[in-house]
Amino acid sequence: MKKVSLLLIIAMLGALLAACSSNSNNGNGGNDPAPSNAGTAEPGASADPVTLKIVYKDEGTANPVSVKFFQELEKALQEDEGLNVKFELVDLAQGSYAENLNLLLLGGTIPDIIYFQGGDQQIADQGLLEDLTPYIEKSTYIKDIILPHNKTRMESYPYLLWIKPLAPKTPVIRADWLNAVDSSKALLENPTVDNYYAFFKELVEKKPGGDKPSYALTAAGDIAEINFIFNTAFGLDTTWLKKEDGTYEYSKVSQNEKEKLAFYNKLYSEGLLDPQFITKQWDTKEDAFYKGEAAVITGTAGKIIDLYDGRMKELNGDGANVVVLPPAKGEAQGFGATDVTKESRGLAISSQSPHKDIAFKVFDYLASPKGQELDRLGFENEHYTVKDGQIELNDKYYSEWYARFWEPLEMKSETPLKTPLLGEPGTQSLKAASDYYTEDNSFIIPEQFVANWDAMNNLYKEYSTDFITGKRNLSEFDAFVEAWYAAGGTDVTKYANENIK
Amino acid sequence: MKALRRMRKDWVIYAMLFFPLLYFVIFHVIPLYGMKLAFQDYRILGDHVWVGWKHFKVLFSSPAFGSVMENTIIISLMKIIFVFPIPIALSLLINEVRSSKYRKYVQSVVYLPHFLSWVVIAGIWISLLNPTDGGVNLIANLFGIPSVDYMTSKEHIRWVFVVSEIWRSAGWDSIIYLAAILKISPGLYEAAKIDGASRLQQMIYITLPHLYSTIVTVFILNLGFFMNAGFDQVFNFMNDSVISVVDILDTYVYRIGIGNGQFAYATAASLFKGTIGIVLILGTHFISKRISGKGVW
Repeated sequence: MKKVSLLLIIAMLGALLAACSSNSNNGNGGNDPAPSNAGTAEPGASADPVTLKIVYKDEGTANPVSVKFFQELEKALQEDEGLNVKFELVDLAQGSYAENLNLLLLGGTIPDIIYFQGGDQQIADQGLLEDLTPYIEKSTYIKDIILPHNKTRMESYPYLLWIKPLAPKTPVIRADWLNAVDSSKALLENPTVDNYYAFFKELVEKKPGGDKPSYALTAAGDIAEINFIFNTAFGLDTTWLKKEDGTYEYSKVSQNEKEKLAFYNKLYSEGLLDPQFITKQWDTKEDAFYKGEAAVITGTAGKIIDLYDGRMKELNGDGANVVVLPPAKGEAQGFGATDVTKESRGLAISSQSPHKDIAFKVFDYLASPKGQELDRLGFENEHYTVKDGQIELNDKYYSEWYARFWEPLEMKSETPLKTPLLGEPGTQSLKAASDYYTEDNSFIIPEQFVANWDAMNNLYKEYSTDFITGKRNLSEFDAFVEAWYAAGGTDVTKYANENIK
Repeated sequence: MKALRRMRKDWVIYAMLFFPLLYFVIFHVIPLYGMKLAFQDYRILGDHVWVGWKHFKVLFSSPAFGSVMENTIIISLMKIIFVFPIPIALSLLINEVRSSKYRKYVQSVVYLPHFLSWVVIAGIWISLLNPTDGGVNLIANLFGIPSVDYMTSKEHIRWVFVVSEIWRSAGWDSIIYLAAILKISPGLYEAAKIDGASRLQQMIYITLPHLYSTIVTVFILNLGFFMNAGFDQVFNFMNDSVISVVDILDTYVYRIGIGNGQFAYATAASLFKGTIGIVLILGTHFISKRISGKGVW
């Protein structure tokens, strides 16, 4: 027994020593913010390459597509720009990207290029992110592709860059069901709230899918997705509404909000809104759409709508292609105002990087026609082929590829595209989003109000859900407003009135 | 001296403690030093700024703190009262099963849910409790009981936590009691049988008293996690309808602290939780020692 135990201990010690030695070979300690080759300002073709550390969601060394993409990018930068750059992908643990990234950065490892999906403000507040404004001004390509909403966001928060088209949630329905109901014509010609209601009602009563749909509309967990259709119609077109006396009022405690909630309550009580929308997740929401339990859902404009279209046709035939519905029309029409305080996600350059200029040159190259070809179209002969001087995208492109960097609405490619970047519904949804673009007047909640803001938001979520489901009568709306102001709304409203210009 | 002699004699066995101890030192003792972050503003570059009780003041003055503490205490109390005794009862019942094949089958079935993550369990329970086509409501409907939307009902959601916690952990938690039961000398049961004791009497007068110290130890150690209330479970079961009755300290800290990268604030909340846990463990230990002479040590 003793001998066996002794052997076990020796084996475990050996394993521990082996693990320690293999770690020490990795070299780069966790607390080394400086990338290698410090001091190399402009890497010539023959000089040692500059290593740029990059941390990006889902783009790790275990992902062969990411590895190949950055290898191709290295080659392209060398050939087209004479930049000798080597990318080092920083791997993060599985789990929430924002949390793991925060842990990485707060642990002192600061890559040169960082993709953020939240949590960036804390890092920017500590002066660790570079102000990108002067770089953009001096850029060759980025300044030409930057979109209006990006420009406004960069003015107030110049640390994150995310050149992507506006992507609100747009409502969609399968075409065969849209054509099967009489009220669809009126809806498409004049999408008032009443016409939407009539359309939903006919869908549920007529059941164009035999015994389906069970309900007209569903959402994933809350009303935020449905708000994209109806908020503007109810006059909720900005976060802070200007009252007749010139002061601002938080939209969620306004009379307009009360009217909207009354409408949602009507949809819910008549079975037009999914009775289980509160416990739905994004996957069960989409499942309900594909299986025909729900006739209408909302999806992020662009590629997601194309994915809905492809999946719907795959499951229900070509006649079930997805059609984008217009936003409801009332006091105004639109998918809601766009928050222009800051990018909610995007790419940043570390202020501690000795290669800030080179990191931005990479950004700029990816905005050039050649960079766009690589980033948006994928790899030649894998995601597209060039035939007769034209680029033909294949199924692998449509089902797998996505741009990691910039996606301006128009793509300037040196070789013309034979096939479109997006399918019809995807393109249609992006166009609708662009057509209805308006800017919001929201602002970044100051740190002293953050805890109260959380409590106030929770109060709204619970009251609004109760009003919709009928657990509370809408006559209690004033009590909610009172509670909201008491929970800190008075201070935030005062701050809003002092700061909104 | 006696202990030292024993250690020298069985040094190989004691040496095997090295790795578990190393684990606890690295992952549980050394990080205690990091608790000082609760009193600092964290800076990635340069020195951290000492801010004293700032994060605690923010935590205690938050408008949500009262309800968050109330929810944490209520949910934890419900679990202690209704979940804690179930594994004990289950282990006693499993012990009474005579057929070893059937006993193994029952044990395997009740252990299984332990290996599912709360994400999966939440999905199962949301489907099971669906008011239109969920199994629970369909069965209730057969007996003329109307459907209830348990997941969005403020009156029922905490009970959903209790029942789903029992479903997940009762089997697994019963292992420790089953192990304690196996240690009981069969001679005691044989003597009781000769004296004419029934199975129930054997359970009450032999098995239960022998489980007492295990029950006390597990109970006291569980109290150390009293303020946890089950983050994974609550986070996955939570929805907008029931926030006010299920938002616990951990979910609140997750949103405000971790979600916004305010790690110092999150550390302050953890320290607060940990302090309450230690007070509860020590308090219960000394009370138990005084009343029954048995404690954790």
